[in-house]
Amino acid sequence: MTSTAAHSPFPSGRAVPTPVTGGRGGLLASVVGVAVGSVFFLFPIYWMLVTSVKPPSEWLTSPPVFIPDRLYFQNYTDALFNWGGLKGLVDSGVVAVSATAIGMVLGTFAAYSLARFRIGGTNLSFFILSLLFMPPVAIGIPMFLFWSALGLVDTYIALIVQYLTFTIPFIAWVMKGFFEDLPVDLEESALVNGASRLRAFVDIVLPNVRPALVATALLAFIFNWNEFSIAVLLSRGRVTTLPFILPTMMESHYVLWGDIAAMAAVGALPVVIIAFLLQRYLVRGLSFGAIRSE
Amino acid sequence: MMATRRRPSRWSGGRRFALLTVAPATIILIVLSVFPLLYSLRLSFTDQQLLSLVPPRFVGLANYAQLLQDNLFWSSLGVAAAFALSVVTVQLGVGLALALALYRLPRYQQFIATLLLIPSILSSSVASFQWRSLFDYSSGPLNYFLGLLHLPLLSWTADPRLALPSLLLVDFWQWTPFVTLLLLAGLHALPASVFEAARVDGSSSWQILRYQTLPLLRRVIAITVILRLIGAFKVFDIIYVLTAGGPGSATESLAFYNYVQGFRYFSVGYSAAMSYVSVIIVIVLARVILRYMERPVGRPAADVPVAEAAV
Repeated sequence: MTSTAAHSPFPSGRAVPTPVTGGRGGLLASVVGVAVGSVFFLFPIYWMLVTSVKPPSEWLTSPPVFIPDRLYFQNYTDALFNWGGLKGLVDSGVVAVSATAIGMVLGTFAAYSLARFRIGGTNLSFFILSLLFMPPVAIGIPMFLFWSALGLVDTYIALIVQYLTFTIPFIAWVMKGFFEDLPVDLEESALVNGASRLRAFVDIVLPNVRPALVATALLAFIFNWNEFSIAVLLSRGRVTTLPFILPTMMESHYVLWGDIAAMAAVGALPVVIIAFLLQRYLVRGLSFGAIRSE
Repeated sequence: MMATRRRPSRWSGGRRFALLTVAPATIILIVLSVFPLLYSLRLSFTDQQLLSLVPPRFVGLANYAQLLQDNLFWSSLGVAAAFALSVVTVQLGVGLALALALYRLPRYQQFIATLLLIPSILSSSVASFQWRSLFDYSSGPLNYFLGLLHLPLLSWTADPRLALPSLLLVDFWQWTPFVTLLLLAGLHALPASVFEAARVDGSSSWQILRYQTLPLLRRVIAITVILRLIGAFKVFDIIYVLTAGGPGSATESLAFYNYVQGFRYFSVGYSAAMSYVSVIIVIVLARVILRYMERPVGRPAADVPVAEAAV
């Protein structure tokens, strides 16, 4: 970021003229606004966590229980072992890791060519970008017929390959931005010294974008981990990712809010950890590379 | 294209390398998307039913003609449009206010921003289930709070008039933090000198916001608007979990109606025709976004695209 505000150890809001309204009143309003916002945006998270440790007797009470008397962790064992959460973790993990790994290899190479050689011109860029924004339902029918024709509905392969339709475009688009930011001098001097293009790419370019590679991979992992619509269209109960399991838990007569909340928390934990590790890159990744933040 | 010419000749010599590296990704993407799209184009001209034993007939543009007369199709377009419009205006307004507020609080700013961002990185499936529990008529916290304020309790997702606003609330909760974060990044990239000058001129805070900050932010705002438009247009997951399109067809968006026709009624041909309407809308939106995202080759972007707008 160009601004000093984010990194200076002391608040500079009043000392330096800012793009934002000044004065003490403004500052107070800001504190209140952020506080109210935090309560609104974080309360549902708190509700999920607190529900996940409530005993069944407190799931459907009126008034609702906001602070349970004791912590009841059996919801987690129920979610993991009775509701297939453990298998869900494995399935989500296998699908998300595979799609991300394959997407990284293919997407990074493509990104480099798009950035440095403008290969395919704007048409190819446009094609890739359109795919990133295509609603899965729009290709749902042919996608389903395609995988049934191959007898692969409800398999890892179908989900992994189908997830590539947005994973490759995402990685290609974000990495393209990082490659464009990298000065060409580095590769040029390597090429002058007789390195092949592949060598220059692997030995010179990739090490220079290592943090970006890690960040992009983790964000792609988050998207794959969270994916829901394709899973709904292509799963029938054998391959069950965590987002897919949640709706199946609603079918019982008695709504098992504690178990559901525990399952949701299990699904949320990895992405929340990754988000905190990745703070610096979140903006760029989430805006699909359109906005830089450091 | 101009930029290619300015490039040292070595770069144009790398064509073979470029083709080889871009080919695998492109081929996979074509197989996974162009084939299905061509196939569904063909389907859209037939009366194919998924589970029917009768062979499909070629019906020309009949599906498209039927679409034009299908009230549910028009209402699903209306739902999608209403959803997208509210999402963009409300989330942008509140997101901007929050970004400006956060900007004033440099201490712990990044930590708070990341904490607030949790809703945006959750699976929409997880988010929907949390809200299902919050919306619960008798045991949900929302109605409990309404009761405390002596307000009438609400059937959040079961009342036809409330169902869509309730979904908007969930989308607001999930995506406003994301909008805030993008705008905050935009604010940080603004050149301080402009504001110094304005302050010296004696402009009020409101004038600075209105005539300096917002115009300089317009590029980031444009990108944010387009990303949210596309997100709102694609909305499917929260409808699937929270209302299943109901009550009646009150929350049946284009994407969801498309799903219902294809995967519930198995009217594959008709559903394919509807997909094409979505595809065209997405292509138009992607065209717009490309204009904002593309940068010249090898020229590092000035910190955020905003900076270009400042010139």
